[in-house]
Amino acid sequence: MSEPSAKKLKAFAQQLLACEAALGNPVGAKDSRAFRGLAKLRAPLSKLIGVGGFRALLSRAQALAGEEVNWLYALDLKADGLLDGLETELTASEVAAGEAALIAQMTGLLVTFIGPALTMQLLREIWPEIPTPDFGTRGPT
Amino acid sequence: MKKKVAARGSQKKATPNDLAKVKIRQIPTGARGLDEIVGGGLPEFSFNIIAGAPGCGKTTLAHQIMFANATPRKPALYFTVLGEPALKMLRYQQQYSFFDPAKLNKSVRFINLSDLVLEKDLGAVLEEIISEVQASKPGIVVVDSFRTVVRKALSVSGGEMELQGFVQRLALFLSNWQATTFLIGEYTDGELRDNPVFTVCDGLFWLTQNTERNSVVRKLQILKLRGQESVPGLHTIRITGDGLVAFSRTHGLTASQNRPLNRRRLSTGIAELDQMLGGGILEGDSMLVAGPSGTGKSALATHFLAEGLRHGEAGIAAIFEERPKGYAARANSFGLDLNAPQKNGKLEMLYLRPLDLSVDEALQEILDAVERTGAKRLVIDSLVGFEMALAPGFRQDFRESLYRMIAALTGVGVTIVTTVEIEDSFTSFEFSHYTISFLTDDIVRLRYVEIDGQLRKVMVVVKMRGGNHSKDIREYVISDQGVVLIAPRQTDYVRLTSGLPERIGQSPPEPSPEPKTRPRQRDV
Repeated sequence: MSEPSAKKLKAFAQQLLACEAALGNPVGAKDSRAFRGLAKLRAPLSKLIGVGGFRALLSRAQALAGEEVNWLYALDLKADGLLDGLETELTASEVAAGEAALIAQMTGLLVTFIGPALTMQLLREIWPEIPTPDFGTRGPT
Repeated sequence: MKKKVAARGSQKKATPNDLAKVKIRQIPTGARGLDEIVGGGLPEFSFNIIAGAPGCGKTTLAHQIMFANATPRKPALYFTVLGEPALKMLRYQQQYSFFDPAKLNKSVRFINLSDLVLEKDLGAVLEEIISEVQASKPGIVVVDSFRTVVRKALSVSGGEMELQGFVQRLALFLSNWQATTFLIGEYTDGELRDNPVFTVCDGLFWLTQNTERNSVVRKLQILKLRGQESVPGLHTIRITGDGLVAFSRTHGLTASQNRPLNRRRLSTGIAELDQMLGGGILEGDSMLVAGPSGTGKSALATHFLAEGLRHGEAGIAAIFEERPKGYAARANSFGLDLNAPQKNGKLEMLYLRPLDLSVDEALQEILDAVERTGAKRLVIDSLVGFEMALAPGFRQDFRESLYRMIAALTGVGVTIVTTVEIEDSFTSFEFSHYTISFLTDDIVRLRYVEIDGQLRKVMVVVKMRGGNHSKDIREYVISDQGVVLIAPRQTDYVRLTSGLPERIGQSPPEPSPEPKTRPRQRDV
């Protein structure tokens, strides 16, 4: 399969973040939905590919998303695969843009490597309510 | 009366000797052809090793076993240890037809132990496996690559003993937890001896990949399998879109023998040849038609197929030298229609020409076609083309493979006509350079003879296992009717089999069966 479309991935990321927000946790600059979501994803993915594997995947997603939302570069990706260092000066919309970019890139990497079916299976283990996406394709790269 | 005695006997208190032995349940391998090789299926709760060089299909085979057996109630656990990263493994394995994404996580679970192996000792690895197994209660456990665990153990002093203890405890635990286990590892032949892992295991599956000239041949051998009888020897395997497919060396020989007891005589489609054969080919026989190029071997084989089709008998033509379209067109020029039967499913023409084919793969293709069509007649045209289609390594075993193949096919009640090209010698009368006449029931030899300035064709039935046959050497032509035998001649010849016969007797000159170029009038 070719790589998924960036636009559709972004839309899907928004849905995933909405699902995460619906779980009742407060939304705020210090408590990122994306951080929480990635931390939840870390457990099953680390089981599958190891903590090192998860960290490598997230670092790639961070690098790709950072090209779009620069403040993501400043995040500290720790050895255990958890993200830290979210700036408190960021506005809510800046945070939201960064969260969507990060989740979109992480999902995009999973879709590229293991395909939409397995990616969705993995994500639905955490967010059962998430709707079935149409990732589309960006064409072969 | 005996029944009554038995009934009374059954009321007696059972002694330990009367009780049934344990029956080992077998689980499917999920790999086509492999169940037959392992003796019906894999022994449940066995502790196995899938070993071999990289690229042989070890991981693919393990996945096939998992997907064939894993259920939500008895899932499969796949522990990855510094081998192929799980994400990439999922990426590649999902390309196979057996990979069912719906089973992932519910029935098939992947657990990465790489960090543990890197950071801790074997005891911690064992603890983690035990903990996961106790939590999931799996039916299948795979550790890939186990070789990494071995390397880790042997990298420290006293590691060999630690490894032996680890393997022993792992095998004991997993068997007692009713898991069928597969350790995957990259091993070479030299590592077979004195290896504690191989000593403990119940089953040892050895996969190899050899390059012979330009062909790659993969093979599988069951070096060890406790509790049941497997088929010995090296079996060809191929990795296809369906995963690993195995071709048993004895394929068909262990299957039920369907050769009818009261066998009919099948017409070859050439009435006079039928007479020479004592009424036709016996059903379930294998007939070899041998002769040099252009003598009509394929034409004769086509007659045989077409005659069966005319009587509603399905047929198969396994052809190696000509494309099906050309083969059917030539049959059409003899007034034999092979196109309509292909359309209505009564005839399959198998064009088998990959250059790294094994006899067992060809056999499987043919057996599949026999099953699909219910074919009673099979033409293999020709053995020379067949041999050329084989990987060089298989050519050495061609004769043995042919024996297995013909026995398997006639065993399922198929009547076979095989053609073989041989060079005509003017000093001898060969039947085939493969020395395979012992494995055919009947032999018809075609050859050229020089008579009256023409290169004419003669045929003779050399052998018929199922009864008496004509000993006549008969002249024939190939016309728009196909193979047509010429009425017996008045003229007698000797040494026809030499190709350079000598006329004897005083019979008057007879016309040649096909027009002979006459000298122009003014030259006379």
